[in-house]
Amino acid sequence: MKDEEPREVSASRRAFLRGIPVLTAAAAALPAPALAADGKHHWAMLVDVRKCIGCQACTVACIQENAVPEGSFRTIVSTYSVKLTDADQPAGTYMLPRLCNHCEEPPCIPVCPVGATFKREDGIVAVDGDRCVGCAYCVQACPYDARFINHATNKADKCTFCAHRVDAGLLPACVETCVGGARIFGDLNDPQGELRRRLDAAKAEVKVLKPEQGTEPRVFYIGLDERFQGKVEGQGTLWQPRKAHG
Amino acid sequence: MTPDIVETVNVAREIAWLPWAVQYFFLIGLSYGAWLVSLPGLVFRRPGWEGISRLALLAALVCGLTAPVALLADLHQPGRFWHFYAYFTPTSWMSWGAFFIPVYLTGLILYAWLAFRPALARHADEGGKLAGLARVLAYGGHESRKALMAAALLTFVGAALVALYTGVEVMLVRARPLWHTPLLPVQFFVTALAGGLGLALVFNRALPGGGDPAATRRMAVALALTQLVALLVGVVWLVLGMSGMSPVHAQALAEVAPSANWKVSAVWAVVATVVTLALAVRRPGSGLLIGLLALHSAWMMRWTIFIGGQEVPKTGAGYYSYQLPLGPEGLMGIVGTAGLWIFLFVVLTTLLPLDRIGRAERVGA
Repeated sequence: MKDEEPREVSASRRAFLRGIPVLTAAAAALPAPALAADGKHHWAMLVDVRKCIGCQACTVACIQENAVPEGSFRTIVSTYSVKLTDADQPAGTYMLPRLCNHCEEPPCIPVCPVGATFKREDGIVAVDGDRCVGCAYCVQACPYDARFINHATNKADKCTFCAHRVDAGLLPACVETCVGGARIFGDLNDPQGELRRRLDAAKAEVKVLKPEQGTEPRVFYIGLDERFQGKVEGQGTLWQPRKAHG
Repeated sequence: MTPDIVETVNVAREIAWLPWAVQYFFLIGLSYGAWLVSLPGLVFRRPGWEGISRLALLAALVCGLTAPVALLADLHQPGRFWHFYAYFTPTSWMSWGAFFIPVYLTGLILYAWLAFRPALARHADEGGKLAGLARVLAYGGHESRKALMAAALLTFVGAALVALYTGVEVMLVRARPLWHTPLLPVQFFVTALAGGLGLALVFNRALPGGGDPAATRRMAVALALTQLVALLVGVVWLVLGMSGMSPVHAQALAEVAPSANWKVSAVWAVVATVVTLALAVRRPGSGLLIGLLALHSAWMMRWTIFIGGQEVPKTGAGYYSYQLPLGPEGLMGIVGTAGLWIFLFVVLTTLLPLDRIGRAERVGA
C-alpha cells in the first residue's frame, strides 16, 4: 500500500500537468462568446443573481466601453438592504443587475415616431442615432427604466449588449468584467452554448422582470426574488447621480 | 416604521419630457378648447355669443401658434423635426400627431382669417395701427360664409384629431400606470375646454367696461358644467381605482397613493375645481377669477401628470425628486413659451385690437 500511494499522487499530478496545455490551448482557441456553430444568432443574457457581489465592475466597464456620460447608466447593479427575519443579523444585501432587456416584444419600438429604434435580426434592440429626434417617447414606454436621453448626444440611449463587441466576436463589456461570473451572454439558438444549457438546466428557476407587461425579455434571471421582479416597494435611494449638465 | 427594503444604490432617471412638453399640452389644449368656444357665435350664430366667440378664436390662435414651438423645443434634436415627415411610422401616435397638428393649424389660421377679415378691413378703414398690413391681410374684407364653414369643418377635423392623439399617445404608455388609464384623454379634454373658456373669460374681462356681463354669465354656466364633468370623471377614476373594478385604475392609484406630494396635489385639484364650480354658479359675474382658476387647473393637471408621473420610478423604490432647473430645460421653457405667447398676443391685438374683436357684432352682418 505504501508503494501505491505516491504512484496515485504522481499519477494525478501527471494528469493535472498534462491537462494544463490542453486547457490553455482550448481557452485560446475558443472564440470569446459561446457562438452558435451556424444559423442565426439570437443574443440573450442570463443573470445569476446569486453570484452577483454588487461590485459595480459591470457598471464601470459599461461606462468606459460605451462612453456613457456622467450621471447616466446603461447598466447598474441596484442594491437593496433587506430586513431579515430568519437570521441573527438584522439585514442582508440584495443585488440586482439591471440593463435593457432586449425584449422580444419591445414597447419602445412601436412608439418611436421616426422608426429610429429597431430590433436587429440577432435580437438586439438598437437605436439609429442618425435618425433619432430625441423625443424620449421610447424612454417613457420602456417599463424597465432602461432608456435615457444621452446629454452628450441628445439622443435616446440604452444598453446595446455591446453590439459593436459582439459583432467582432467579443463578449459585452459587463460580461467580460463580471467578477462573480453572474452574467452569462450567449446565443439562444445554440443548443450547445453555455447560455442555452444553463437556461435549460435551471428552467424552473428562470424568471424575467415584469412578466405581466408581455414584453418577453431576453435578459433572464436566476435567483430573482419576487419582491424585486416589478417596481420595488420600499424606501427609495437617497443618492442621485450628479447631473452632468445644466 | 422602518421599511423592509431600503434601496441603497440605484439610478434616478431624469425626467425626459421636460416642462416644454407641459407647455405644449397646455397650450394645444387651450387652443382646441377655445376654438370650440368660437363655434356658437361664429358658426352657429347663437345670439349673445358673437363677441365672446371671437375672443375665444383669438385665444385659440395665439395658443395654437405658440404650442408647436414648445413641442419642437421639447425635442432633444429640434433640428431633426423633418424626420417626422421623412420617416412616417404608422405604429406611433406621435408620428400621426406630426401630421394632425398641421391639419389643425392650417384650418385654424384659415378659419381665423375668414372670421376676422371684415374686422381687419374696418380696422384699416378707420386708420388703426398697422392699417396698411391690416388692409393687405383683409384682402378686400369680404365675408364668405361658405368658406368659413369649410374652414370650420377642416379645423374641426384637425382639432378632434389633435385632442385624440394628445390623449391617446400618453394613455398608451403602459409602463406608466398613472398615464395608462382610459379616462386620461377625457380628463385632458375636459380641462382643455375649461381652460379655453377660462382664457376667453380673461380676454372678455380685459375689454373696456369689463366685457359683456351677459356673455360672462353665459360662459360661467359653461365653465361650471366643465367643472362638474371634471369632478364626475375624477370620482369615477377614484371609484374604479379603490374598488378594484378596473385593474389599470387600481394600479394607477396604488402607484401614487403612498406619496404625500400626490395627496396634496389631489386635494389641491379637487379644491380648485370645487371653488371654480361654486364661484361660477353662485357668482357668475366673477369672470376673471373663475377664468384664471380654470387656466390654473388646466396647467396644474398637466404638470402633475407629466412631471409628477415621471417622478414615479418604473422599477426602483420610492419616488424621484424633481427640482425645476432654472435653464432651458426647466424654468426658461415655461418663461420662454409665455414670452412667445405674449409676443404673438401683442402682434395680433395690435393688428386687430381686443375691443374690436370682442365687440358684440355679427361677423359680416
